[in-house]
Amino acid sequence: MATHYLTNYLRTYRKRLGLSEDEIAFLLECKSGAKVSRHEHFGREPSLRTALAYEAIFQVPVRELFAGIYQTVEQNTLKQIRTLSEKLQASDPPHPRHQRRRAQVEAALLTRLINIDHKHE
Amino acid sequence: MNSHETESRILAIYLNSRGFGFAVLEGPDRLVDWGVVHVPGGNRRRTLSKLAVIANRYQPDHLVTGHPKKSPHRGVRVRHLLTAIINVASNKRIQRTGLSRAQVRRVFSKSRATTKRAIAMTIADHFPELEPRLPPVRKPWMSEDTRMAIFDAVALGLSLLLLHDL
Repeated sequence: MATHYLTNYLRTYRKRLGLSEDEIAFLLECKSGAKVSRHEHFGREPSLRTALAYEAIFQVPVRELFAGIYQTVEQNTLKQIRTLSEKLQASDPPHPRHQRRRAQVEAALLTRLINIDHKHE
Repeated sequence: MNSHETESRILAIYLNSRGFGFAVLEGPDRLVDWGVVHVPGGNRRRTLSKLAVIANRYQPDHLVTGHPKKSPHRGVRVRHLLTAIINVASNKRIQRTGLSRAQVRRVFSKSRATTKRAIAMTIADHFPELEPRLPPVRKPWMSEDTRMAIFDAVALGLSLLLLHDL
């Protein structure tokens, strides 16, 4: 049986390192561990700068640290790629001057779809 | 397995006289969280509310505790609490399993660990992050270290994974 990822695994990696919330807060240049605690308990999403700082501290990619968020973002983006791809195919053929650019865009979208589907198999 | 999914999440709870130890596992090689929760006076309502906080945070698929009917060595309070926890789990639609001490020992006997201490050491080898929490060797006149509840909880979780092939 499989289950969905947690929003983030910050607490797991922090405890593996044996650091306290206050120590992580110091590394993040925060005043106290309260902010770290809110991140760990899924109460608040960190900013991009903070997320990258977490990656630097734990030496784990952001997409693994925030596996649950990444999963949601990836699913939504995949949906949007499919929609855009369908839209392009349904639209009128472009002016001959723009045909090359259209083909390029369609190929790029197709590659992303194939990559994501391949990863999910 | 789909990359959107991980292995089933297990919440293991080991009750003792001072509160409980817990461990959250995602498969046999991934320990997500662990700790000891102190409940002064062993208050039943407080124990259940603290447990509910952990269960809400981790949304486990399975809850594993000691077996309420196959734990004659446990006190009346602990046995009643185990039954109450099982009721809470069924209300939250979490699959629950009770494992007896004999079942846990049988699982770990394959790695030649039969005593509590030997089981804890095997677990510390498997999860190096737990090594600093390994209590010192217990002398006959010493009461059990609170941290041992973490290892008991992890042992329950791993036993469930191995016995039920999750």
